Amino acid sequence: MSSDLRFLIVDDFSTMRRIVRNLLKELGFHNAEEAEDGAIALNMLRTSKFDFVVSDINMPNMNGFELLKHIRAEESLKRLPVLMVTAEAKKEDIVLAAQSGASGYIVKPFTKATLDEKVQKILQKMQ
Amino acid sequence: MNLNDMPQTPAAAGALPAEDVHQRIGQLTRTLHNALRELGYDRALAQACDNLPDARDRLSYIARVTGEAAEKVLDAVDSARGVQDELNREADSLRQRWSILAASFAAGGGGPAGRELVDETCGFFERLGSHASATQRLLTEIMMAQDFHDLTGQVIRKVVALAGDLEEQLLKLLIETAPTDQRQKMEAERLQGPVVNATGRDDVVTNQAQVDDLLASLGF
Repeated sequence: MSSDLRFLIVDDFSTMRRIVRNLLKELGFHNAEEAEDGAIALNMLRTSKFDFVVSDINMPNMNGFELLKHIRAEESLKRLPVLMVTAEAKKEDIVLAAQSGASGYIVKPFTKATLDEKVQKILQKMQ
Repeated sequence: MNLNDMPQTPAAAGALPAEDVHQRIGQLTRTLHNALRELGYDRALAQACDNLPDARDRLSYIARVTGEAAEKVLDAVDSARGVQDELNREADSLRQRWSILAASFAAGGGGPAGRELVDETCGFFERLGSHASATQRLLTEIMMAQDFHDLTGQVIRKVVALAGDLEEQLLKLLIETAPTDQRQKMEAERLQGPVVNATGRDDVVTNQAQVDDLLASLGF
């Protein structure tokens, strides 16, 4: 799988951003940027090219659902794969994420194997 | 006034007119307020209001300290990974050079002691690779365990928000149960909810100290 893909990791907790970034590095994806919330992420997506978004849901300013909504509504971004990684395990949230166009959904705490599986599955669908 | 003074529910079941419902809610509220005052619960409410900010501060402290601890662990894991990678690279380079030497010894060069040393060294270099992989797996586990900060942090944030809401409700109740003269003063200085920009305004409070001062000025 191509390891030059550019990831955007969106989470208000720096600890989780570092964990996801390190895991992606271990999976061979060395190119990743970070955003603290959906608003910052959206601005980065509009001004720079990314290939994959890994986003939390509960964040200040703009949450993950709102970010996803904006991404799916913008012509230049709407095909961007978005993997939701969140502590929200409520069924309604998972359903909402799916209906909003999330490419995948991981519940925290998760393992490296789970992240690998979801990322690979999404990338295979893109091909 | 006690609850027996309240109008009784009509025996016949059926919807009450809206005005009656409104009237009864008002009377119940008045009864509750008077009871709270008579029982001295207004003091308890004031005490609860005082304690909530302290509880919020303590929770925020926990979130901050655990977050800092998690960051330190992640820093250490990153450093250890770097050291491990460097060791692995050096060992791999030496292994290749010793393998060449081992081939030379196998062809008859060197004595038995020399051959044994070369074989043991090559074996060690080969094991080093698997040990390094095991260490990397353990470092990954240590790193993943730091997600507790995210998970507990989200819970703490919700509890802090809940405590804030509770404090606001208690303040309102406190104002409503205050004696008339004090209530007028409190209502004039009442919190209006979150204020985004307090510049130039003297009708709002902007920090906890001002809330404390306001309560103190009212004798609480």
